[in-house]
Amino acid sequence: MILQLLILAFFLLAAPLWAGGLAAGAEDKTGRWTLPFRWVSGQFLLWGGFQLICVPFILAGRNFQDVVILFSGYVAALLILALAAGLKRRVRIPLRTEEKEEGEKGREGLLFWAIFWMLLAFQLVQAVRMTYGDGDDAFYVAISTITNEADTMYQKAPYTGGAIGLAARYGMEPFPIWIAYLARISGMEPVSVAHTVLPVALISMTYAIYYLLGSSLLPRGDARLPLFLVFTEILTLFGDYSFQSAENFMIARSRQGKAALGSIVIPFFLFLLLLLCKKLSEKQRVPGRLYLLFVAAALTGCLCSTLAALLIGVLCAAVGLTAAVVYKRWQILPPLAACCLPCVCYALLYLVQQ
Amino acid sequence: MISLFRNYFGEGLISVWYLASVLYLYVREKRREVRIVFVYAPIILLLVYFNPLFAWVVYYVAGYEIYYRLLWLLPMTAVIAYTCCSIYGSLQGKKKGAFAVGMAALLALSGSFIYANPFFHKAENRYHMPDSVVVICDAIRVPGREVQAAFPAELLQFVRQYSPVVCMPYGREMLVERWQQSNDLFDAMEMPQADLEVLAPLATEYSCHYVIIRRDKPLVGQPEAYQWELFLETGPYAVYRNLEVPLVIPEGY
Repeated sequence: MILQLLILAFFLLAAPLWAGGLAAGAEDKTGRWTLPFRWVSGQFLLWGGFQLICVPFILAGRNFQDVVILFSGYVAALLILALAAGLKRRVRIPLRTEEKEEGEKGREGLLFWAIFWMLLAFQLVQAVRMTYGDGDDAFYVAISTITNEADTMYQKAPYTGGAIGLAARYGMEPFPIWIAYLARISGMEPVSVAHTVLPVALISMTYAIYYLLGSSLLPRGDARLPLFLVFTEILTLFGDYSFQSAENFMIARSRQGKAALGSIVIPFFLFLLLLLCKKLSEKQRVPGRLYLLFVAAALTGCLCSTLAALLIGVLCAAVGLTAAVVYKRWQILPPLAACCLPCVCYALLYLVQQ
Repeated sequence: MISLFRNYFGEGLISVWYLASVLYLYVREKRREVRIVFVYAPIILLLVYFNPLFAWVVYYVAGYEIYYRLLWLLPMTAVIAYTCCSIYGSLQGKKKGAFAVGMAALLALSGSFIYANPFFHKAENRYHMPDSVVVICDAIRVPGREVQAAFPAELLQFVRQYSPVVCMPYGREMLVERWQQSNDLFDAMEMPQADLEVLAPLATEYSCHYVIIRRDKPLVGQPEAYQWELFLETGPYAVYRNLEVPLVIPEGY
């Protein structure tokens, strides 16, 4: 059990943190990065690769083990590349991600940070201790369990069992297969990975993304950054005003791809768009690595849900067109549109499969 | 689309705080990047959402029930939290603390505590599955092959999350009314009494090796008379082995 948890910690924490070195420079022109940025962007690079590898294998009716081998190779390659890139740039992890300030702001900040960590710990403990009975798990988690056991992907009926033809339209959004990958590589049952381990990782990642958004909105070292995070936690904890809200999905159904789309992919996309607009405001060159992250986020959206094609397209169009008008920089539109191309391709594949 | 919009925002005041926050940022926020992402783009997104032509296309391609997910694009949480922080930053002295506490309380009261949702309950094990499902699935599992078992409705959604080798004659699709699925064995299983005269032939017809029945449900008929053998009792459930359907373990196991 401990070994299984350590393996999962490597794949959900250490590997993304390491791979995120490839995105260094996208956030800050000095090449500095914060640990949350590195962790989140690394995870998106891993997810994007998983989507690219997995869908063709599903459509070809190949075995799950082939995906396991190829994706493990991709992870290894990404880690080697990140190591090489880090050595080349000689980028070091900053010991402090925030500049501490003395006096009232420092005390305020400490208090808000303490509240933030307490509320986060509460949510993570609840994620393990509590369970939410959602009927859709009967489909998504069952697919992870079947995939791990039978070594086939989308070829068995998740509700009842027995062989069916290839359910290719669901194969466009193979988030459950990624869960099966984590289960296979760690040796833990997919049902435990989905219900117990993943919520801890994904809820933490959601707040890491809110940290990134807060860092972009507020000056470094500002005591309002932890306050911003505390408010996001309150809004999430009291987000049960509707069972359809992204906050509700995040806490209650974090193991489902659509929840990751609403609470992780879309907020990260917003962060990237904010970063893009910030660079345009400061008349900086938009680094290629930022567009790489856009592509990874678009691919991850498709990994989570086929609806991502629509949501990401609409979001990119709304922000991109507005930014082009406000900054009079129409040249940002072609690369932004190109970043949405994966979504278009998967959407077309989905329609063909329907 | 208006009813979907209403459902999405529920009965809380979050939508009011969001609207107020967008208005505040429209008036006070100077940075163009923040105005674009938090003010202008959401307005465009709402115009897109309420565009009947767009809605018709999405309804046609993806179905109407997921149209509300377009509203996930509104960065409500980030906008409200950032507005609170902006106002907090503009205050001085004790007003700041009072505002932070007051606003936190107001936001909490405007929503609904997520863990108070009746669908949340304490997990019984590390699988987050009912203990009964774990015990039954482990007990009826045989090496080298799948088994077929009929479960009562309340367990359907859990069985195959836990065990992919336990197959069922009907599954979760029976519980979603709008899918309009029907199955005569399911109907018989959900009757107030377990009438073996009806259940036993259907269980055999659907090749069920096992049938799981609530212990508090009255049985009509003697199980032995229908080649049913009590296999296990766990929690509120009794598991019967249907001997009419042979369960052959493959060679080598």
